[in-house]
Amino acid sequence: MTLTEPAIADSEAASGAGGAAAPESSDEVAAAPSILAQPFVTSDAAEVGRLFVLTSLLLAVGTSVIGVLLSLGRTEAVAPWDLFGGFNAYFRMWTLYRMSFMLLVVMPLLLGVALAVVPSQVGAGNVAFPRAALASFWSWLIGAVIIVVSVFAGGGWGAIDGVTGNESDAMALTLLGTGMVMVALLLGAVTVATTVISLRQTGMSLLYVPPFSWSMLVAAAVWLFTLPVAVANLVVIYADLRGRPAIAFGRAESPDVWLQLDWLVEQPAVYIMAVPVLGIAVEAVGATVGARSSRPEAITVIVGLFGLLAVGGWSQDYFTAPQDLRDGLVYVAFGLAAVLPLVALAGGAAELVLRGTKTLDRLLDVRMLGAGAALKLLGAAALVGALRVIEPLDLLETTATWAVFHGVVVAGLIAGVVGLRNWSHELLIGPLSVVVGRGAVALLLGGGGLLVLSDLISGFLVDAPDLMALSLDGSAVLNVLAFVGSILVAAGAAAAALGAVSALRTPVMTEGDAT
Amino acid sequence: MFTTGFKFFFGLFAAFCAAALVYGYTTGGNHVGPLSLGWKGGVGDHIGYGVLVGLAGVSLTISLVLVSFRDADAAAQAHLQNLAEVLTDQPVTASFWPVVASFGVGAAAVGLVLHPMVFVLGLAVIVLSMVEWTMDAWADRATGDTAVNRELRNRIMAPIEIPVVGALAVGVIVLAASRILLTVSKLEAVAVAGVVSALILGGAWVYASRPGLGRRLMRILGTVGALLLLMGGVLAAVAGEREFHHPTDDTHEESGEPTGTTGHGG
Repeated sequence: MTLTEPAIADSEAASGAGGAAAPESSDEVAAAPSILAQPFVTSDAAEVGRLFVLTSLLLAVGTSVIGVLLSLGRTEAVAPWDLFGGFNAYFRMWTLYRMSFMLLVVMPLLLGVALAVVPSQVGAGNVAFPRAALASFWSWLIGAVIIVVSVFAGGGWGAIDGVTGNESDAMALTLLGTGMVMVALLLGAVTVATTVISLRQTGMSLLYVPPFSWSMLVAAAVWLFTLPVAVANLVVIYADLRGRPAIAFGRAESPDVWLQLDWLVEQPAVYIMAVPVLGIAVEAVGATVGARSSRPEAITVIVGLFGLLAVGGWSQDYFTAPQDLRDGLVYVAFGLAAVLPLVALAGGAAELVLRGTKTLDRLLDVRMLGAGAALKLLGAAALVGALRVIEPLDLLETTATWAVFHGVVVAGLIAGVVGLRNWSHELLIGPLSVVVGRGAVALLLGGGGLLVLSDLISGFLVDAPDLMALSLDGSAVLNVLAFVGSILVAAGAAAAALGAVSALRTPVMTEGDAT
Repeated sequence: MFTTGFKFFFGLFAAFCAAALVYGYTTGGNHVGPLSLGWKGGVGDHIGYGVLVGLAGVSLTISLVLVSFRDADAAAQAHLQNLAEVLTDQPVTASFWPVVASFGVGAAAVGLVLHPMVFVLGLAVIVLSMVEWTMDAWADRATGDTAVNRELRNRIMAPIEIPVVGALAVGVIVLAASRILLTVSKLEAVAVAGVVSALILGGAWVYASRPGLGRRLMRILGTVGALLLLMGGVLAAVAGEREFHHPTDDTHEESGEPTGTTGHGG
């Protein structure tokens, strides 16, 4: 293919006598997309990242409100199934709460921060595949809408009482929406990972890329090893649901659907959300006190080790006898070992504080408080996870499972708030208000802590496996604590979302968008 | 030396070759059949093996074409344009095809459950988006000049896009207008057709006689008109056609009513 003469002549005229690259012509500027059109056409990954962050924070508010209602059902003030209108409806909300926090809130929130921040950290002008990043956001959003609508239309991930009428179709839509969301997140993760691998500045070794970029590279790799297993699960369940007897692994219109997917929100797979939290925490601490780690390669190894322990595709236990897998040495070892990198990372963060400037205002900075809170919650979650795999404690199929989950997701939310504060420029927003930031971190830490504590102690108190915490005897006080905790988390999520929205400013037009 | 496109398609060629070998040997291939395209031994399942070998051949051909024409080779393009500087870092232009592709995937997912037509529509949108997206990506790297790239892209795609979009627009207009005319009463259909025709004629006359009218205004009017027509068509389709009298054979010629059992003259 050769260029036509008039086209070359036009471009040379526009570029001036030098004949170098033509800058934006007036025609191009005239064709620049409007602010309203920008979310649909932008090739600026920072804009896409901002869309991810804002949307996931708004979804965090909705999800945490569902959490409040679920916790209210545990307080005996009202029977949980009456609150939602039946067992199936309660089960739908219970599963939606978990899937939504993972796939619609924490993972996209951290991915959004990464899309905006990673290119500038590695010295690239943009991500490797800007259009794929845009497709990632829109596919994720459409998938999210399909999930939410279909769940409220009677779908969801399985049913306790069987399905009636069109609920089977709605359930199929939920499965397809879930798959779409997972593939979209993978697309965004691949974009970020490729940026770190291919577009980093010459001479920047992978051992020395900034901790957050490294943690996102590790997270993307871990997501790539884990989410496709879940997508394969969804395909099998979908085929089952549509009545393909050759596959039929279980009754699709039963809790079997959830039992094939629950490994995703349990340890070790639940930690895939938390890998970027480590990078954000280290960077936030370093930026606040103005210090750099004396051993950056150690941070790199620690984050990589945590990522390794978060690979969870192998822990899918539906097709094997659960006890075979969960009593196995590997499962126990993964559960116990997950604590070690977090302890090591806390040590690394402490070293930064010791080496840096320790004034009161710096130590009370939102980033410092948030990083500390996120690491504390994540550490607590990992500690509960370690207790959970110790067989004599008998915590495996109890609410301790959700103590780990709550610790991880709330740590992810706090890390998102820290990211908003630390990289407001990259995210194209104004600085997050200090008051709002501190308030959000405090609420999330308090709420997350109460949830972790109440779920863990409830796990010790119940005699029989009780994942949904529906047997309410003997733990009324703890259930009230969990209710208060979920209210605090909802308030923290709302504060973060309001803070981000109020900090919005007009997006900066990039050269690419002006064409 | 090796351009990006070459590396991509040559990689695909290698992957398809490997897949064909594995598939051939795992479906009954023997001796060196899968290695020699069936010359010495069996290739296993003929259809699957043939498809994979065919894809490998197509990938190899494309890769050779791309490397022959130095596609997306910044140095070659700079030489062609007599530029002193090799331009490698071109900005990615704004494009709405990623969003369209996402909606296509969503439509396919919803259609898979609700209606085959929606599924097919979603697939069509995905294929269309992939073609356009590929062209946009190629054009972005064709030269170091965004204006030239856009010109280049339009010269290839406009001869395809304009007739296709035109045909689709005409189809939608005809379909929507016919639904409206078939839904309202006979007298109202005549009135609607008359008024709309008069509006189009009047609008065209005003635009022709006053060239100073802004493009923006015309775009807004055109968009509003198209939306109204589309909404009217959808509402009419939902409401259904009016009742038609079904004249007998000996009377329809005199009355001029449509014939047939359905009476849907369109």
